[in-house]
Amino acid sequence: MLQIKNLHATIDGNQIINGLNLEVKPGEIHAIMGPNGSGKSSLASVLAGREEFEVTDGTVTYKGMDLLDMDPEIRAREGVFLAFQYPVEIPGVSNISFLKTALDEIREHRKQEPLSARDFLNRTREMQKLVQFDSALTNRSLNEGFSGGEKKRNEIFQMAMLDPSLAILDETDSGLDIDALRIVADGVNKLHTPEKAFIIITHYQRLLEYIVPDFVHVLSGGKIVRSGDKSLALELEEKGYDWLREEIATS
Amino acid sequence: MLAQIDVDFRTQIINDYQGVSECKICDKPEYLARIREVAFNFFQKNGFPTQKNEEWKYTPVKPYINEPFDIDKDKSQTFDPSQANYFGQHLPGYKIVLINGKLSVEHSQIPDAALCTIQPVMDVLRKPEVQERLTKSRNYRNNPFLAMNTALFTRGVFIHIPKNTQVDKPIHLIHYEVGEGKQFNISKNIIISESGSEAEIIESYYHDYNDAVSFRNSSTEILVEPNAVLDHIKLQKSDHNLRMVEHTEVEQKEDSLYNNYTFTLPGMRFVRNNLNIELDGSNIESHMYGLYLTNEDQLVDNHTLVNHKEPNCESNQLYKGILTDKSRAVFNGKVYVHSIAQKTNAFQQNNNILFSDNATIYTKPQLEIFADDVKCSHGSTIGQLDDEALFYLRARGLSKTDAQSLLVNAFAFDVTEKLRDEEIKAMLNEEIDQVMSGVIS
Amino acid sequence: MRTENEIIEDFTTREYEYGFVTDIDMDILPPGLNEEVIQFISAKKNEPDWLLEWRMKGYQAFLKSKMPEWQNFKAPDVDFQDISYYAAPKNQPKYESLDDVDPELLRTYDRLGIPLEEQKLLAGVAVDAVFDSVSIATTYKEELAKLGIIFCSMSEAVQNHPDLVRKYLGTVVPHSDNIYASLNTAVFSDGSFVYIPEGVRCPMELSTYFRINAQNTGQFERTLIIAEKDSYVSYLEGCTAPQRDENQLHAAVVELIAMEGAEIKYSTVQNWFPGDEDGKGGIYNFVTKRGICKGDRSKISWTQVETGSSITWKYPSVILKGDDSVGEFYSVAVTKGKQIADTGTKINHIGKNTKSRIISKGISAGQSNNSYRGLVQIGKGAHKARNFTQCDSLLIGNKCGAHTFPYIESRNQTAMLEHEATTSKIGEDQIFYLNQRGIDPEKAVALIVNGYAKEVLSKLPMEFAVEAKKLLALTLEGSVG
Repeated sequence: MLQIKNLHATIDGNQIINGLNLEVKPGEIHAIMGPNGSGKSSLASVLAGREEFEVTDGTVTYKGMDLLDMDPEIRAREGVFLAFQYPVEIPGVSNISFLKTALDEIREHRKQEPLSARDFLNRTREMQKLVQFDSALTNRSLNEGFSGGEKKRNEIFQMAMLDPSLAILDETDSGLDIDALRIVADGVNKLHTPEKAFIIITHYQRLLEYIVPDFVHVLSGGKIVRSGDKSLALELEEKGYDWLREEIATS
Repeated sequence: MLAQIDVDFRTQIINDYQGVSECKICDKPEYLARIREVAFNFFQKNGFPTQKNEEWKYTPVKPYINEPFDIDKDKSQTFDPSQANYFGQHLPGYKIVLINGKLSVEHSQIPDAALCTIQPVMDVLRKPEVQERLTKSRNYRNNPFLAMNTALFTRGVFIHIPKNTQVDKPIHLIHYEVGEGKQFNISKNIIISESGSEAEIIESYYHDYNDAVSFRNSSTEILVEPNAVLDHIKLQKSDHNLRMVEHTEVEQKEDSLYNNYTFTLPGMRFVRNNLNIELDGSNIESHMYGLYLTNEDQLVDNHTLVNHKEPNCESNQLYKGILTDKSRAVFNGKVYVHSIAQKTNAFQQNNNILFSDNATIYTKPQLEIFADDVKCSHGSTIGQLDDEALFYLRARGLSKTDAQSLLVNAFAFDVTEKLRDEEIKAMLNEEIDQVMSGVIS
Repeated sequence: MRTENEIIEDFTTREYEYGFVTDIDMDILPPGLNEEVIQFISAKKNEPDWLLEWRMKGYQAFLKSKMPEWQNFKAPDVDFQDISYYAAPKNQPKYESLDDVDPELLRTYDRLGIPLEEQKLLAGVAVDAVFDSVSIATTYKEELAKLGIIFCSMSEAVQNHPDLVRKYLGTVVPHSDNIYASLNTAVFSDGSFVYIPEGVRCPMELSTYFRINAQNTGQFERTLIIAEKDSYVSYLEGCTAPQRDENQLHAAVVELIAMEGAEIKYSTVQNWFPGDEDGKGGIYNFVTKRGICKGDRSKISWTQVETGSSITWKYPSVILKGDDSVGEFYSVAVTKGKQIADTGTKINHIGKNTKSRIISKGISAGQSNNSYRGLVQIGKGAHKARNFTQCDSLLIGNKCGAHTFPYIESRNQTAMLEHEATTSKIGEDQIFYLNQRGIDPEKAVALIVNGYAKEVLSKLPMEFAVEAKKLLALTLEGSVG
């Protein structure tokens, strides 16, 4: 589904992704871990198409297409979903009407009929239940005055509504208490199908107790320095990142 | 000081004053002659405002008044308002037709006398409540157009909403500025909402002078008595040849609510709105909402003055602007809190988006506070659409233009959201969407 | 327990601490302003012809100027003929070392808390003290000279560095800028001159103390600071005056010039005599301060704590000409009695990516009026310019006024400006909370006010911050609300 080859990217002239390779197949869950400043969130931003990031080398192929050549909205319509680390507050734009617009755009792009108002509302209700998202929040302005946990849950709710093929969760667990974390993880697990892939970016192993990854990658200095299965996450949890840094330095 | 303007116009002003003050057949109460004289003397001495006047610092008026205008010369006898389209036409309400400021009873739908009285202002000059409104002392130095207006007005409408009456439909004033040649029209309106009454007043504009420019100098005196509620909505949209200064004075008594909504859309070349509210009683609420979308070489200026004279009142101002092309906009708001006006809540917010490097915004939100137990704040921002928000929306599949218009609309709808009249809200939102999609695409 | 109002009463009626007069033989010119007076001053200072000519140009501009009319208070009628334009201690006006200074004068500085003699306490602060019109002593001069730094009185600079003075004097505040700047140009007496050469970081705080002592005199100092490429300097200024019934005029001009990559930090603690409770006497503090960020990446930062003067009229400004240059204004203004403070800043964004930050905290007590008046201007070429302004007012009692007059103008669509203002009072619950923890109401107010002004105070150099905190507490003593 996704092939990243030798990816290099800069922001304001600083190299932040430095020769990264990764392949994600349908149905797989990949966890990307790494210390602060290792380039985890930058990778998410590059994949979603944030304009401040300049790709200087390498390729990203998504479903056989050149992902880097697409505008952010085209990526979204093709099924790439980014759950933001810091979801923005947009006063005056209601959550629900925004979602309807986004869903209509995506369905049109996929040559699907737009959902009728009734179907849309039914789907909204169903997904709200699935991710335990308060219906009162659905009618408020987008993220405005939401707590940290509510914002993150709203991201998962939107993910459920928009039905992506590849979902990238950028530190969705940060700032969540254990109950909220469980709700978010439950949502992800319920939405996980053999067709859908997930990239889960996280600093801590905690989330991975609830969402079991097929692969764990460790990012450092803008590239993957180690890959393994879920046991790698446990090892990291135990030894911290310093251990890894030393190992790299000596190797 | 009138030397700044065209000779013909100057002669017109002086002749007109003589005509007004010497008119033999007119009903001329003594008090009126007196206030006219004071106003005229001031105006003759000081003339139209220049940019040296602090209240007109960013608003040069000379380009808009320096024409050989005729004052209040009616050449519109044959005008048929039913054929003229204006913004807000389809809104339900009592349509009150004002042709160059003059009430046309035959074309208007005057509501039942039990609901409210609507008469030409010149017919009611001897009413004590009219005299009381007209003899209020006014600051001519800050408002030279008002001095001219008081000295020369011979037109206007008087609206009286009796005690405890709810007017069932909006009273919709349509200002037709029509005729031939360059016209300067002066009108003075008086609105009295008696205690416990509830009404909504809408104002619309229509201009047709066969390509000639005209200037509208209008002032409105409003009294909102105890427990009364008045919604006042201005839909300022007309053609490029109309220029205007609208001066509104509002006096509110205890427990009353006054909501002013001023929407200025692309069109009129020059608009200056003065909105002065005096909160003369306790537990008063006043809301002022403004939205200006400007294009081409428009100059739109909103000046507000809120005077808190008694304790426990709340005033709230929200003005937003979106500027394109080489248009200019001014927001100047002042909140004044007297020392006895404790527990005042006064808020003032002005936000602007510039869509062009040739557009200019001047904003000056001011507070003058003399009481210590108050909550007063103001804020002002100038900027563009938030990049972060744009990216968020695009990452959810919205196209760049859709995301932009969603954000622009959200910015503007923040003001229309405050309307209690759903029909106007829908009409305005559609209009804003249309105007802005032209700008964004 | 005393009522709130009683405490307010006490606090606001506290007397001026620095209101003593120093008994020294003075050389004073009789009151009056004309060309001869200007010639006299110029001759007394042995000035070159070009400077006298420039003074005369200032005088001509002064004669043509009118008093400003935009203020929201009644401007005083200053009788310019009733002021003496030159006063200097009679003993030789220039001193070679501290030992030559009239001991009475040194005692004055001691009382002011400027221990000229006790250099230990001044550790690291070089002081230039201006007494009435003449610069008395500049300490640490030699040490600074080793780095190529010039720090001396303006009169000395005119004698010893005429080319530098001529090149920069009046380039930021022209002789015709405003009526008081023109007057200053005509009659300026002395002031400080600072020159920091390329790449030099001035190792100590430079400081000036101004004191008006003689009767019916005006003080018209002129300060010029030039920071060459990639240099840095922090400059402090403090002011006091004796207590007198008449109003005295202080019309200074300060010019700052920052070249590429240079940074100038200018801090003021102004405590001129504010007049008595009834508003009698006090200093009219009408000062023009302006800096220009000439080069790219340069920075000018004004910090002021204004507690004195009967009327303060002052807008330290920054012209952001260089790309990526930064202008800052941090201000605390406290007024009580019948004081009027009308202060703020003007920031003119011309270069690309220029940034400015304005933090103003006004505290009004008694029957005083405290205004923030500011202008932020974004020029057409100021792409991506940013401004943030916050001006807060605190009212103590309800006989005083707090006013905010921000002017904001933008001609560039990529610029972003934010302005916020709030008005509040010291909450009874806040005071009660502190009382309950054992703090008396006066200290509680001082604590709250200091907290309120903290963001600005933290911008002051250490030595000044301590003094400023004390000053705030003293100024407001008795104003508890």
